[in-house]
Amino acid sequence: MTITDITITVNGAVRQAPAEARTVLSDYLRHTVGLTGTHVGCEQGMCGSCTVLLDGAPVRSCLLLAVQADGHEIETVEGLADGAQLSPLQQAMLEEHGLQCGFCTPGVLMSLTHAQREGLTEQEATSLLGGHLCRCTGYGGIRAAIARLWRDREVTE
Amino acid sequence: MSDQPHGAPGTAGGLIGRRLPGRQDRRLLQGRGRYVDDIKAPAALHATVLRSPVAHGHIVSFDASAAVADGRVHLVLDPAEIARLTEPIPVTWQLPGQHLSQVSLAVQTVRYIGQPIGLIVADSRAAAEDAAELVVVDIDPLPAVTSVPAALADGGPLLYPECGSNIAGQIHFGDPVDDLEQIMATAPHVVERTLGVQRINHSPMEPRGILADWTAATEQLTVWSSTQSPHVVRQELAAVLRLRVDQIRVVAPDIGGSFGGKVTLQVDEALVCLAATILGRQVKWIEDRFENLTAAYQGRGQQARARLALGSGGRFLALHADITGDLGAFAIQAGSGPFQVTGLALEGPYRYDRAGATVRAVYTNMVPTGAYRGYGMQEASWIRERLIDEAARELGMDGLDLRLRNIVGPGDMPYTTHTQLTYDGGDYAAALRRAAALAREHCGASAGQVSRGAAATACVEITGFAPSALLEMFHIDWSGWEAGRLRVNQDGTVTAFAGVIPVGQGIETTLAQIVADRLRIPIGWVAIQLGDTDVTPYSDLSSQASRSLTLAGGALVQAADRMRDRMHALASRFLGADPADVSLDSVAGTDASPDKAVFRAAGTEQTVTWRDVAHRGWKGWGRSGSDQIQLEETVEFDPPAITFSYSSHGAAVAVDRETGKVAVTGYWSVNDSGILVNPLIAEGQITGGIAQGIGIALLEEARYDADTAAPLATAYRDYVLPTERDVPPVTIEHRCTPSAHIPGGFRGLGEGGAIPPPATIAGAIADAIPQIAHSLTSTPMTPARIWAALDAAARPGRQAGREHAAGDAPR
Repeated sequence: MTITDITITVNGAVRQAPAEARTVLSDYLRHTVGLTGTHVGCEQGMCGSCTVLLDGAPVRSCLLLAVQADGHEIETVEGLADGAQLSPLQQAMLEEHGLQCGFCTPGVLMSLTHAQREGLTEQEATSLLGGHLCRCTGYGGIRAAIARLWRDREVTE
Repeated sequence: MSDQPHGAPGTAGGLIGRRLPGRQDRRLLQGRGRYVDDIKAPAALHATVLRSPVAHGHIVSFDASAAVADGRVHLVLDPAEIARLTEPIPVTWQLPGQHLSQVSLAVQTVRYIGQPIGLIVADSRAAAEDAAELVVVDIDPLPAVTSVPAALADGGPLLYPECGSNIAGQIHFGDPVDDLEQIMATAPHVVERTLGVQRINHSPMEPRGILADWTAATEQLTVWSSTQSPHVVRQELAAVLRLRVDQIRVVAPDIGGSFGGKVTLQVDEALVCLAATILGRQVKWIEDRFENLTAAYQGRGQQARARLALGSGGRFLALHADITGDLGAFAIQAGSGPFQVTGLALEGPYRYDRAGATVRAVYTNMVPTGAYRGYGMQEASWIRERLIDEAARELGMDGLDLRLRNIVGPGDMPYTTHTQLTYDGGDYAAALRRAAALAREHCGASAGQVSRGAAATACVEITGFAPSALLEMFHIDWSGWEAGRLRVNQDGTVTAFAGVIPVGQGIETTLAQIVADRLRIPIGWVAIQLGDTDVTPYSDLSSQASRSLTLAGGALVQAADRMRDRMHALASRFLGADPADVSLDSVAGTDASPDKAVFRAAGTEQTVTWRDVAHRGWKGWGRSGSDQIQLEETVEFDPPAITFSYSSHGAAVAVDRETGKVAVTGYWSVNDSGILVNPLIAEGQITGGIAQGIGIALLEEARYDADTAAPLATAYRDYVLPTERDVPPVTIEHRCTPSAHIPGGFRGLGEGGAIPPPATIAGAIADAIPQIAHSLTSTPMTPARIWAALDAAARPGRQAGREHAAGDAPR
């Protein structure tokens, strides 16, 4: 069993801790770094709950080994709000009832945060939901949150 | 978005009917949930479950010596040790004649692939899984029963040879079979179909999970469980582990969805708790998705031979269904309950001269089945509405007209069905007309290889499952009542307790709205405490059966009204004023503190704050001799009867005739759940239910190999959940008939969305392509099945209705 010390910048903070070679990134973030906001829904890369941003790009953290993230930057759901101030995306999800049990929500937020930064259209952002399974909402509230956010953005731009 | 507590809409404090965001949502959106696997437990050991690799057979040997030798392993539980240390899990709802009245943890004969036969506890989950690889189990295989027809086949394998058959039990509801047969034999028109609903995996995005902590010094077991029924889990655990109920505390932290899949203690969960008591340590087990898809209890799974007899003008003369439910390897807690509810709820919102259902359940070598959102009522809708659509087609009538001719009218209320359910009001016809009109208006025209169609169905739904005497009458070993407990704390804040559980349905938000509304105080003063057997009122059914808001809400309405009167009386005494002259000023904003609310005596300058009244009340001051001191009220609410919600759903579909793929292009729900506390949350519940209904209609199936009974849906690539593209925009219109049975006028809505979609979508497919209507008998209506039906319809010589032969290929 190989154990390696790895260094990952998580939400702007440098974190150094040992990882077994076989430890996946989602387990490392949750149980070694202690950030349990990233949820593990299937460990098969299918449900999207564990989505985080690796150097700005959305990845399934259950399909990456922690050692693969060595030296890279990771963003998780815990980094989205500014203190108690929700990000506009989080606020839109709150107001449009874009979550029920909340388990898939962190992954959805990370994909949509990426979509915002990349300047994707509302339709393109909505299509990203195809990579996320939500068993509670039927996606109606999430679509409404996207619509609200993109509409608000047009008004302010 | 206004969170102002006072003023319109609604009554009293003006909080009923407001679209407030969920109280937990701000925290969950920041990644600050606390699901079982998030609980900090650095000293916990980790369990992995050893499961049977064969569907049926006798365990010959179980050799864990290599695993025991692994230095990271703390405990291996084998079948013999489990047998020595445990009692069976009691069951709740049986069929007459049912042979098995409990679930044994001790297994010598395995009866499904994935059945727990042992447990390994190690330093880490990875170490436990490593050690599991070292266990050698020798099982002498037996032939497996891999389907309902196979269970009933003459000379086939038997799961319990001592029973003489695979039939677990049987019951009949409604009019006697002889009466029904007489009508079927003489009616001008009888439509008969064999209709099936597949096995469903609940697929909460959070799988099951347990953290068990045994404190040896005090002999207390604390269990954090992803459960929707903590009190039931506590009772079941006490029975299994030979403990007193008061030695166990079960806590439900944040729950990542449940849908009926987390209503009972499952064997693997019990083994984890057993391990904790043996080791005197914290032991954690988090189910993985493979286990969840293949070894967690499932829902649905039934077939029915059903007939509808019609007279002149399309009058419904008789309805009968012979229902056979697939229990799986053994009957769990309420294993046959959904099948029985299909029989009870078969009639739906229509009148018949005679109606009844015969329900039996069979054992098969597959995962046991039980509750799933819609609980037998979705299957009833499928049987009833498919028969009606087929009758209309065969008689050359319009499906909407045929329904409206037979629907229960507002003037018929209260209306009692042949199975003795009494509907308590509503205008079913108006909802149906509206849903049908919406679907037809938006259907669109067929073009090229795409055929379009629309349909609407009607539904009436059992909600607020109670009263307790009804459950006793059905020999169901549950209570139906719910308690609401409410405390005005010493600082004037308010804490309300209930036995129901937040599983994503927003119950903590709606209960807070109810309490604040009735007390006429800002919602920010109200905390809701749920999900802890040490703290919350006892509840058997808890958050099942669309009953959380109706029953816990109904209880808290009454508790709050009593407390408001007590606070008012205390304030009057402190003010030395006639209670009729005392009023509580309204408080703006949610953040104002409890000393901003002021009781005022008319015509005087005298005031006392809400906080002061609470403070002095707890001192025991200002009371008359016999008054209670503690500012607490508990109301036990056992309603006089079931309260029924109703809805009509409309669907528009586009069927690609080249591929057999069905797209739902529009969906409409006209829904009456009485007084809505929070329409934002209500619409979320309905839409989410509809998505699950679309999954049943078109996508999901827990399939098993026909020879080996091996589960074939082992990952989300095989078990297809609805994605964003599969769920169209859903339009919801509300009607409001307040329930007379429930203080507050609420009716339930947790399950309603999931019930009508399969039948409604099938009706729309039949409307699009009438040539295949007769073959729409089983869900899911996958592209393969639809394509096979189209192919059969295009070849006149071929037998109609043989869609299964070609249609069972994997998607």
